Parts: sequence; C-alpha cells; structure tokens
Amino acid sequence: MPTVIACFKWVIDEAYIRRGPSGDLDFSSVDYKIGEYDRNAIEEAVRLKEASGAKAIAVTVGMPEAAKGVKDALSRGIDEAYFIADSSFGNLDSSQTALILTEVIRSRIEHYDVILCGEGSSDLYAQQVGPRLAEQLGIPCISFVQKLSLAKDQLVAERRVDEGIEVITAPLPALVTVLPDINVPRIPGVKDTLMAGKKPTAKIIKDDLPPLSEPLVRTISLTSSRMERSCERFGTDAAEIARFVGSLRKKGVIG
Amino acid sequence: MDFKFTEEQELIRKNVREFCLKNVEPIAAEIDENSRHPAELFQKLSDGGWMGIPIPQEYGGAGADFLTSIIVVEELSRSCASTGFTISTHAGIVCTMILLFGTEEQKKNYLTPMAEGRHLGAFALTEPGAGTDVMAVTTAAVLDGSDYVINGTKTFTSNGPTAGTYLVFAWTDKSAGRKGMSTFIVPREAPGFRVGEHFKKMGLRSSQTSELIFKDCRVSKNNLLGKEGAGLPMAMAGFDGGRIGIAAQCVGILQAALDESIRYSKERIQFGSPIARNQAIAWMIADMATDLSAARFLAYHAAWLKDQKLPFSKEAAMAKLYASEAAMRHTVKAVQIHGGYGYCKGAKVERLMRDAKITEIYEGTSEAMRMVISGTVLR
Ligand SMILES: Cc1cc2nc3c(=O)[nH]c(=O)nc-3n(C[C@H](O)[C@H](O)[C@H](O)COP(=O)(O)OP(=O)(O)OC[C@H]3O[C@@H](n4cnc5c(N)ncnc54)[C@H](O)[C@@H]3O)c2cc1C
Repeated sequence: MPTVIACFKWVIDEAYIRRGPSGDLDFSSVDYKIGEYDRNAIEEAVRLKEASGAKAIAVTVGMPEAAKGVKDALSRGIDEAYFIADSSFGNLDSSQTALILTEVIRSRIEHYDVILCGEGSSDLYAQQVGPRLAEQLGIPCISFVQKLSLAKDQLVAERRVDEGIEVITAPLPALVTVLPDINVPRIPGVKDTLMAGKKPTAKIIKDDLPPLSEPLVRTISLTSSRMERSCERFGTDAAEIARFVGSLRKKGVIG
Repeated sequence: MDFKFTEEQELIRKNVREFCLKNVEPIAAEIDENSRHPAELFQKLSDGGWMGIPIPQEYGGAGADFLTSIIVVEELSRSCASTGFTISTHAGIVCTMILLFGTEEQKKNYLTPMAEGRHLGAFALTEPGAGTDVMAVTTAAVLDGSDYVINGTKTFTSNGPTAGTYLVFAWTDKSAGRKGMSTFIVPREAPGFRVGEHFKKMGLRSSQTSELIFKDCRVSKNNLLGKEGAGLPMAMAGFDGGRIGIAAQCVGILQAALDESIRYSKERIQFGSPIARNQAIAWMIADMATDLSAARFLAYHAAWLKDQKLPFSKEAAMAKLYASEAAMRHTVKAVQIHGGYGYCKGAKVERLMRDAKITEIYEGTSEAMRMVISGTVLR
C-alpha cells in the first residue's frame, strides 16, 4: 500500500486583511485557512489514495492555533496527521520549515512514496519549502505539476513549463509541487468535519526537535501595495503609441 | 460564559459558505424569477450530507448539534432564503419531529431516507380556515380496521409539491379539544392523497407552496406519530425548533442586506464622494449591523438552550420575532441605500426585501409570537 504525504501551511486568509490609514496592514480581525495551493496538494493526496488504496498523511508546521487546520485537512479525506506546533512557529522562514519537515518525515514516517506540496504558500509564495525538503531527503523534486498518476515504482507527472507541457517519470519516493489546475478541492460535508477530530494526529513539540536553525530571511517591514493612476489617455495610432512608449521611458518603467 | 464556536462549527460555516458561493449564489436570482425548485442543487446538498445535519448518524444524518444546523441555515439563507427555509423545514421540523416522537420502525422507514437527503419532508397543519387558530382545523382521521382514513384540505404547505413524506395534523377526537388532534406520517404515494393548487408568491419564490388534498386517504395505523391525541403538543414542539430556523433564515437575510449595503454605499458616488460618507447612510448601516448582532445572539442562544436540553420555547419565539422584524425593517433600508437600482430586478436587496416579509408570517405570525412571549412572561 503506497503512502502519500501532503504538506500544508495554515495561513492568514487574505480576504480579511485590511489596509490601515497609513498604508500599514491590519491583521486584527483575520481568519485562517489552508493555503490555496496546499489545498490542491491535500486533494491530490486523497485522490491518489482513492485511486490506489494509498494511505494519505498530512504534515504541518505552525502555531498551536493551526490545530483547526489539522482538522480541516483531516476532513478532506486525509487519514492521519503530524502536527508540529509551537507558539514561536508563526514566523519561520522557508529554510527552517523545510528542515523541521525533513526531520519529522525522516524520523517518524518509516515509509513513503510521494510527498505533495503546494507550488507555493498563499502568504509568502517563496516556492522554497518543497524543493528544499526534497533536497534534504535526497529524493527527486518535480515542480509545476498539473497532472499526476502513480505507476509501479514510479510516478508520471505533467509539468507546465514556459515552452508547453512536459511529461516526465520519476522513481519513488519523490516530491511533487502542484499547481491549482491539478484538481478542484472538494468541500467537506458536515459528517467529514465532525469525524476529523477522531482521526489519529501525532503532535510534536519544539523540544522533540533538534535546535532550530537560524533563519535565512529577515522581515524588515510589511506594507500594503498601492495602485496609483496617473490618468493619462493614449490613442492607437502611430504617433500616440510613440507618445505612450515615451511616457513609459520617462517614468523609468522601460529602459 | 463562552461565546466561542467549536473548531468544527467554524470549519462547517466556512465550508457551507464556499458551497453557497459556488452552487447557490449563481442560481439564486434565476430560481426566484422562475419560482423553480432547484432539484440539481438539492442533489448536491444531499451528496454533501447537508440535508440531515441535526439527525444522528444511525438515522442517516450528520449527527451534529442543533446550533450547527442553524449555522448552515443561516449561511444558505445568506445566498438564498428559500433554500435555507426548505432545509430548515425539512430537517429542523419534519425530521426532528420523527426523531423525537417516532417509533424505531418509523425512524427507519421515513426519517432515514429524509435525513440522507433522498427526498424532502413537509409539515401540514394550516388549512384555509385555520391559520393562527389551529383549533379551527377541520381535517379528520378515522380508524378503519388497521388503517386511518383521512379527509380534509391543507393549505400553504411548504415543500408540498416536492416532498416525499408529509406530517399531517387531523382530529381523531374533536370532542377532546386540545387533546383530540393527532399527527400522521403520510407518504406521497398514499392512496387518496394528492397535491392541489401551487401558490404564486411575492417572495420566497423557489420554495414550493401548495394545497394538499386528502380524500379517503388511507395510511396504516403504524403511521400515527406518537400517541393519538398528542398532535398539538407535538406541533408546538416542532414549531419551537422551526422558529429558531426562521430566526437563522432572517440572520442570513440580514447579513446579506448588510454585505450589499456596505459594498454599494462605498462604491456609489454622489456629490463627488461615496454615499457611505453621509451620516444618513452610515447610521442606517450602523443600525443594521447592531440588529444583525442582536438577532444572531438570540438565535444562537435559543439553539444552545435546545442543545443543552433546557426549555427554549419563549427564547425561540423571541428570536423569531426579533429577527424577522429586523430583517423586514433593514431590507427596506437596504433598498433605500441602493436607490432606484435597489428597486429593480438584478439587485440582490430587491429579492431580500420580498423574502424577508414571509418571516413575519409563517411558523406563527409576529402577533402570535407576542402571544407566546407575553403568555409566558405574564404567567
Ligand atoms: C409561504 C408560506 C409558507 C407556509 N408554510 C407552511 C407550512 O409548511 N405548513 C403549515 O402548516 N403552514 C404553513 N404556512 C401557513 C402559515 O403558518 C400561516 O399563514 C400563518 O400561521 C398565519 O395564518 P393565516 O395566514 O391563516 O393568517 P390568520 O391567522 O388569518 O391571521 C391574519 C392576521 O390576523 C392576525 N391574528 C390572528 N389571530 C390573532 C389574534 N388572536 N390576536 C391578534 N392577531 C391575530 C395574524 O397575526 C395576522 O396578522 C405557510 C404560509 C406561507 C405564506
């Protein structure tokens, strides 16, 4: 029976972030959700489970509040979860998250065939955790995947790349980062949500882990993006297009 | 005191919201316009296990508490009040009454298929001459061998044209007064039963409302719900839960009115600035948000009492009274905020205002609610 692992992050739902009066970000009434692409990773793990009788495991690193996210993942058809929680895990950078995941997967999950990650998280979208995790585990990493199936001892993945679609195979175990086109995540029913809390969850605390590595990224400040219109209008004839290009040059938008 | 929902309740609210944005919101205006029962939507609701939320899993439901079912009715109603109401009548009244008063056999034969979402349930008490005055019912049932034979006409039955199972109230002993009415489980295929006229309505148009006609309609005596003569107290118990459902429906309508009013008043520019900058508009929105919170807490509190198995009749009546009148008041204001655009088809607030009105009428009018509440507090 193959084992599929889906990694996910419990992130701030951006719909609830408000812009403060001075362009600062107001997080005072935010809600959380499973990152968008991570939902696709979870859905794909469950689809592989349903197609091949695999076991689907979810792993997340986060604040203790992410317990709700663990239930959310379990309600989506995941069989069991590993929840690595500490109140200091709200601001881990990708390298630290990847190291923690490596440690837990290596030491606690004896056998696995596929690890699925979202292409990037909904909050930082650094696209780092998947590739770093694969590198540290010493397994192949296939990114930008929009279609996936398991065959004997290998996986077949369709990657969307600039030039078109690339179909590749990789020996198992392997790590795959998925694009949103790969599936449409299901909406759990009431019963699925009520049963989620009854599925096995292994909770891992900071003391169970080796000392944390230093972060490689430092956040200096956060500010909201702004759109300013200069309200200039251009026509479509040659002279107007030249004026348009000139205007972009003058503003330094193009060289 | 703990105002926190469980994690499950929060997740379920998110899921039903997502379900509504995907499946309900896009068709809500069309099913209202065409007075259409959206069978395809109810198939999806049944596939997702949303049809029997407060019914135990052994009888085909989801096994959630009543409060969770109220959250779902609220969120459905936020997108489509008809859909929220249909689910509320089906699960909150019909399924719940069979769960409370049914025999094991009735639960297996009638409750389970309904809770699984295979067909809808309907509650038939009102008659042409008997609205608020339930004692004026004339439908009667007579025992004939091992069958009851029912004769009479019911009116305004929600889900009348679409249901598979009906709870029908009829006299078995008129001389016994309040102890003379009984409740029957009537399957759609019962001989002598047919669906009569369908009503065309101001609002709540995708919910189907009709007459039901019983002409020597035969049901087995095993279809008597509870004891002979226990019909009225059972109806009142059904209403108690149902009224919390109506309050939740109103909370959904109010939330939608507020969402629309906030969005529109920030977008609509008159005299060079958004109309929300005018105190006249801003205060309407403040009052709307405040009444929404009050209605919500009354509804949740009544549901919580029910889940704790504490008395909740008065609280259910208060929640329904307050929430329905608030929904009516503020949907009128929401149309006002939208100006002429709010009066035209295509504006959601136009539908909200028409849908709000019925909540002051069915499952007991506002006047009837005041009778229930004053009857309790003056006792
Ligand atoms: C869309 C819709 C769906 C419905 N669904 C169902 C259903 O599924 N099942 C069902 O059984 N019924 C249903 N009904 C019926 C509904 O519950 C009744 O319409 C309601 O109880 C009022 O009865 P009535 O219409 O006969 O009004 P009446 O009782 O005739 O009342 C008319 C007016 O007089 C007032 N009034 C009456 N008596 C008094 C009094 N003693 N003191 C002060 N004021 C009084 C009322 O409040 C009201 O304002 C539905 C009705 C509608 C319109």
